[in-house]
Amino acid sequence: MVRWQKDRGLQVRMIGTMFLLALVYFIFIAVLAYIGIDSFLLLVIVMGAILLQYFFSDRMFLLSMGARVVSEQEEPHLYETLTRLCSIAGIPRPKLAIVNSPIPNAFATGRNTKNSVVAVTTGLRSTLNQEEIEAVIAHELSHVKNRDVMVMTLASLISTAAFFIFRNSISTSRISSGRGGKQNLWFIIPVFAAAVWVISFLLIKALSRYREFSADRGSAILTGRPSQLASALMKIGGMIDRVPKEDLRKVEGMNAFFIIPAVSGSSIMALFATHPSVEQRIAALDRIEKELAGRGD
Amino acid sequence: MGIREALNSLLGNTSLPKANLDKLFAISAASVTMQSEFDLRPSPRAGICFKPIESSEYDDARVEIEELLEISSRETGSSFRIITDEYRFTWVILEDTDFEDLIGGVHLVSQTFMEKGLGDYLLCAIFRFEKGKPVYWVYHFKLGRFYPFIPLDTKTRDSAMEFRIRALLEKDLPIEKEIAKWYPLWGIPL
Repeated sequence: MVRWQKDRGLQVRMIGTMFLLALVYFIFIAVLAYIGIDSFLLLVIVMGAILLQYFFSDRMFLLSMGARVVSEQEEPHLYETLTRLCSIAGIPRPKLAIVNSPIPNAFATGRNTKNSVVAVTTGLRSTLNQEEIEAVIAHELSHVKNRDVMVMTLASLISTAAFFIFRNSISTSRISSGRGGKQNLWFIIPVFAAAVWVISFLLIKALSRYREFSADRGSAILTGRPSQLASALMKIGGMIDRVPKEDLRKVEGMNAFFIIPAVSGSSIMALFATHPSVEQRIAALDRIEKELAGRGD
Repeated sequence: MGIREALNSLLGNTSLPKANLDKLFAISAASVTMQSEFDLRPSPRAGICFKPIESSEYDDARVEIEELLEISSRETGSSFRIITDEYRFTWVILEDTDFEDLIGGVHLVSQTFMEKGLGDYLLCAIFRFEKGKPVYWVYHFKLGRFYPFIPLDTKTRDSAMEFRIRALLEKDLPIEKEIAKWYPLWGIPL
C-alpha cells in the first residue's frame, strides 16, 4: 500500500470549504428553529432522503447512465488493471461496468468501498491508450477511496432541503403553522432559504472541484505517472483536436490579416463547474510530477 | 475583460487591435522558467516574420532595419540575415548568444516597422528553445500574446507537450487562451 502523500494547500482549502458549508447549514437550521418551523419533521425528511440516497443512489445512477456491470471473463484486461490498482490503493476491488456511449468518460459510484462500481464508456476505450485508461481508472478508484459519493451526498443534503423549502414557501405562503413561533417572520423564509441554497451550491461546487484535484493526485500516485492522466485529460477534453494544423502564414495570407476579438474563458462559469478546467488539472499534475521526481532523489 | 472592451463588445464595436510590442519582453522571464522547469535552453536565434508589400515605406523600413542591425551587430557581436520563405513571407533572423540582446533586437526590428506605419504587416516573432528538439514560442503581434509550437516533423506537432508547457508558463507569459488560434508555422527557418 502506497503512502498517500497529501497536498496541504488542497487539504486546507477543502477543510475551509466544509467548515463554511457546515456553518451555513447550522445558521439555516438555527434560524428555522427560531422562526418556528418544525425542525424535527425536517430532520426526519432529511434523514429519510440521506438513507434513500445512501442505499439506492448508486443503482439508480448506474441505471440512468445505462451502465452494464460486466464479469471478469468478459473484460479480463480491464479487471486485471483494476485489481492491480486496488491492491496498490489498499481497497477492495469494485465491480466494473461499461457504458455504451461514444463520449469518452468514466465515473465511480457507491456508498462505500465495498459496494462501489467503476464505469467506463466504450468511447473512453477507443479514444485512450492502455496507460491513459489505467490513469483514468486510478482517478475513479481515488474517488472511491476518498468516499467522495458519501461526502458529496452529505454535503448537498441540507442544500437540497433548503431548495425544497424555498420552493414550497413560495407556492404556499406558509409551510406549516408554527407552534408558538415568530409568525411575523414567515415572509423571510423564501429569501433566506434561497440564499442558503445559493451559497451552499457554490460551496459544494468548490468542494467538488477540490475532490477532483484530490482524485487526480490519487491517480498520479497510484500509477506513479501523472503525465498519463494529463494526456488522458487532454484527449477526453478534445483539446488535441482543437489545435490547428494549418500554417499561420497560409491562414493570414487568405484572410488578409484577420483578427478575431478574443473573448474567451469567462471566470463566472468556473464558479459553477463541478470539475476544474483541464488546464488547471494538467498544471496540478505537472507539479505532482515534480514532487514525485524530487522524492526519488 | 476591461470596461472598454466590455463596452465595445456591448456596442458591437470590435476595433482591430494594433500590433502590440509591450508583451514581447515577457519572454525574458519565461526563459528562466523554461530552463528550471523543462531544462529547455534558449537558442541564440530568433526571427521576425512579416509580409513584404510593394510600397516605398516598406523599402525604407527594410533599408533602415538593415542599417540599424549593422550598427547593433557591431556593438553586441550579434549577426542577422534576411530570407524569404515558401509562403513569400520575409524573415529577419537574428543571432546573439545573449538572450536579452536577442529580445532587444527583435523589439528593434518590430519597432522600426511600426514607426513606418507597417505594423499591420508584422506577423509574428519566434523564439527558439531546445533540448534536442526545438520548442518555439510564437509571439503573434496582433494578438499581443504568445503560444507554444512544438513540431514533431513537417506536419505534426506535439500538442500534449505544448499544453504542459503552457500550464507552467501561464504566470510568466501572456499566452493566447484560445488554442484554436495556435496556428503552426511549418519549417521555421531557425
